[in-house]
Amino acid sequence: MFRFQSLDEDCTLEKEEGLVEEEDEIDQFNDDTFGDGAIDDDWQEEHKRLAELEERKNEGLGGLGLGGLGMGGMGGGDASTVQLPPPASRVPHPSSLPPPHHSLSSMPPPGLEDRGGGDLAESLAMLILGADPAIASVGGPTGPGDRSTGLPPPPSMPQQHQLPPHQQLTPSGLPPGPLHPSLLSYQQHQHLLRRGGPPMQQMNSHNIWENNMGFGPVSVTPGLVTQMEDSPLMSIIKEVGLPNRPPPVMSEDGRDLSERAPPPRSSSPVIGSPPVRAVPIGTPPKQPMSHAMNHHQQIHHPTTVHVRAPVHHQHRYPPSFPERISPNTLLNMANSPLCRPPFPAGVGPVLSQIQRAQMLNSQVAGFPRGCQGPPLLPGGGGFRPFFGQPPPHRMGPHHNHVPCPIIRHNTTHLHPQHRRMLTQRMQSRGGERGGRVGDWRSRDPYSNLMTQREKEWVAKIQMMQLQSTDPYLDDYYYQNYFEKMEKRQERDRDGVRKEHTTKLITPQVAKLEHTYRPVQFAGSLGKLTVSSVNNPRKMIDTVVTSRTDDEEKREKQVWNKRRQILYTVEKMYSLLLEVQDFEKRFMQTPEEQREALLEQHKTHTLQLYASLREKEWDDRVSDEQCLLIMSVRKGKRLISRLIPFLPPLQAAAVVMGIARNLPALAKKDKQDQALCWLVEPVAVVISSLSSAALTDLLQELQGSEGQLSKVLQNKFGVTLLYLILSEGERMQSSDLNCQLMDDNRWTELVFSVTRELLNVPPSSLSPPLFTPPNLLSLFSRYVDRQRLELLQEKLQISSLSR
Amino acid sequence: MRFTSRPKMNYMPGTASLIEDIDKKHLVLLRDGRTLIGFLRSIDQFANLVLQQTVERIHVGKRYGDIPRGIFIVRGENVVLLGEIDLEKESDTSLQQVCIEDILEEQRLQQQSRQEAEKTKHLALKERGLVMPRPDIMDEYGVQHQY
Repeated sequence: MFRFQSLDEDCTLEKEEGLVEEEDEIDQFNDDTFGDGAIDDDWQEEHKRLAELEERKNEGLGGLGLGGLGMGGMGGGDASTVQLPPPASRVPHPSSLPPPHHSLSSMPPPGLEDRGGGDLAESLAMLILGADPAIASVGGPTGPGDRSTGLPPPPSMPQQHQLPPHQQLTPSGLPPGPLHPSLLSYQQHQHLLRRGGPPMQQMNSHNIWENNMGFGPVSVTPGLVTQMEDSPLMSIIKEVGLPNRPPPVMSEDGRDLSERAPPPRSSSPVIGSPPVRAVPIGTPPKQPMSHAMNHHQQIHHPTTVHVRAPVHHQHRYPPSFPERISPNTLLNMANSPLCRPPFPAGVGPVLSQIQRAQMLNSQVAGFPRGCQGPPLLPGGGGFRPFFGQPPPHRMGPHHNHVPCPIIRHNTTHLHPQHRRMLTQRMQSRGGERGGRVGDWRSRDPYSNLMTQREKEWVAKIQMMQLQSTDPYLDDYYYQNYFEKMEKRQERDRDGVRKEHTTKLITPQVAKLEHTYRPVQFAGSLGKLTVSSVNNPRKMIDTVVTSRTDDEEKREKQVWNKRRQILYTVEKMYSLLLEVQDFEKRFMQTPEEQREALLEQHKTHTLQLYASLREKEWDDRVSDEQCLLIMSVRKGKRLISRLIPFLPPLQAAAVVMGIARNLPALAKKDKQDQALCWLVEPVAVVISSLSSAALTDLLQELQGSEGQLSKVLQNKFGVTLLYLILSEGERMQSSDLNCQLMDDNRWTELVFSVTRELLNVPPSSLSPPLFTPPNLLSLFSRYVDRQRLELLQEKLQISSLSR
Repeated sequence: MRFTSRPKMNYMPGTASLIEDIDKKHLVLLRDGRTLIGFLRSIDQFANLVLQQTVERIHVGKRYGDIPRGIFIVRGENVVLLGEIDLEKESDTSLQQVCIEDILEEQRLQQQSRQEAEKTKHLALKERGLVMPRPDIMDEYGVQHQY
């Protein structure tokens, strides 16, 4: 009927003829059914191992358990994939709650019952009845064909196996060896193990089976109940109630188990359905869950035992006892081998401390104890669940021999890696076991949760943090302390064998240069900007230009000088401004203070001039100073504003100075032609000059060799020249008694001017600001007609302007 | 009985490391004042702890009560200190264990009396003109409400 699903990677559903109705359920949970990752190739090994185990059990024990085993056997040689009940039932079995309790706690959830009751019941019935001749022989009313009544869902089936009565029924179908890989159902193992079950489990199998034959609303037979009550463990069950009562009363998080139950699946006897993954792939595979068991949890009744027909669930592999089992897992194992939700951990069923202790102890004891009684908690109670008081005494009478080989729960959910780790751990544990009894750590199923690798990893990180290029900088006191210690030890150990002092040796990391060199491609413009945390992008590609000292000095000097000039100019300006504002102020001040103001004014002007003039000579402007000031644009402006305020003599001196230094000034003025500001005031001055002074001025202008040509190149120079000539002409023309002609200087000068004017190439002759009109007449005095015309052309002197 | 000792690996001699403390029973004191006792199962570089079979122990005077909590993951920064519990010496204590309800009640009473003392002190100070900020009754604007 039911065939075990072979766990190949590509699970194929094989349909059983008779159970077509199961199809829907299978499809519905297709995802779960064909989950990935949970299938592990190791199942064959496990299976073999378990088969051997079973064989041993078979030989060792007499009667086999109930039909549950038979179920596994599948009378007809069929096997169904059976959801193996939690392995816990095996281990804590001596001490833990008796199977009836399991069945208690594994009430099918109402949902399931509602849902698939009928179908499942039928299939289950078929399973049980058909497969197990023992049952059939016992039972009677419902033969193999009885499928009418709603059978509680398969998950409950295993419970039946675990009921004491099972002992009385020989699972005839129990194969000595694996009939089929799946035959070694967990239930079978359970039963095998329980063969030597506690006396209290001596229940009237007949009763149960009779009850169940009807597969009606299965309930515990009165007989069963009484028997339940007989055993002390039963009392515990009653005391505890059904842990999976939703919401679990003492559950720490109050979560309802049913919430975590995966959707009910076809339990199975599902024709050809693959082993049901009650635990979704990826859950910590503590124990195999009969997914369908979930449903049971919600139905709790302390006194009712839902005896379910054994269900062959998809878990074909006898679950082995994982090394790490959470307390809840244990609890689950103890409570119900079948009815465990997929997520047992942390949920609900809360046993009393006693029960927990029992379970845990038994679990602990479960290890290679062979047939010993449950050990009292070794090592001072290293594994006290919640540090409660473990009642070892309870375990005593109930203890059954613990299977020597470690039962592995259904580890098909495990990631292969996880499985391997468990295997390794188990093996190593087994290897260590020789003779070691007292070491509680070996009893600690949770030990080595942190693998060696992980520890090393943490240590590595800690060591990395200790890396230092400068240990003294990082931890001065640490270094000193250890040095002192070493010295002390050396002193103390003089002559004595040197003790090995543990010294922390931290790796010394060489200081690396982490300068950023931007990537450059040949022939490209610029650099790639690839930045990271360690190589932050440079914001600015600055290049430091460091000048030599000399250069710096020179530059500094230049700057200093300029600053000095500017400073002087500023000071003079302030004075000048005061002078300029004098008149305004004068008007405003009252009579009495006017005198004072006047004095002040005079002082200012004097000061101004003083700053310009030569040290000793009063009527000569210091060339140097003048140059300096005039070299600055502001200085030129200053002078131009200053001249009007100076007394005539001083003003003339200034103008002389200007004329004298005109080439130099002109050179500096090439760019902005600020000299032109000077035209106006200079013109004024010139017009007030005496002839002698004028001549002097002209002379100054022509001063050195080649000066005139330079003068002519400058606009201002030309203008100035014209001004002078014009003034001279005016003098001559206006005043017949002009002394200009008295000495030949003027004439000569004019001659040289004209000569120069004629000779100078037109390009270098800069146009003046304005051309005085009387130039032509001037020139006409001194030059012949031819030259005059030439001059006229050159200078573009209009003949009309006269 | 032959005890086989676990290979003693001194990961980092001279330093404090929790690696050797793994799988041992510890008492952990948290910053909020709670005391946890559990088996230290895993650590990381921040000293985050995984405690298994944890019990929160409430101490009031000479009595204490345990509340089983299960598995704890404690963020490292919240740990004040932790220390290994010597299993043999664990039972030599003058402290008396009581049931949880009792200890919680005692704790509540203790808290109550403390609060009242605090209140009276605060009031006394206030009368003398000194107002100490009490974060528990102060809202985000620095206004203290005392009803």
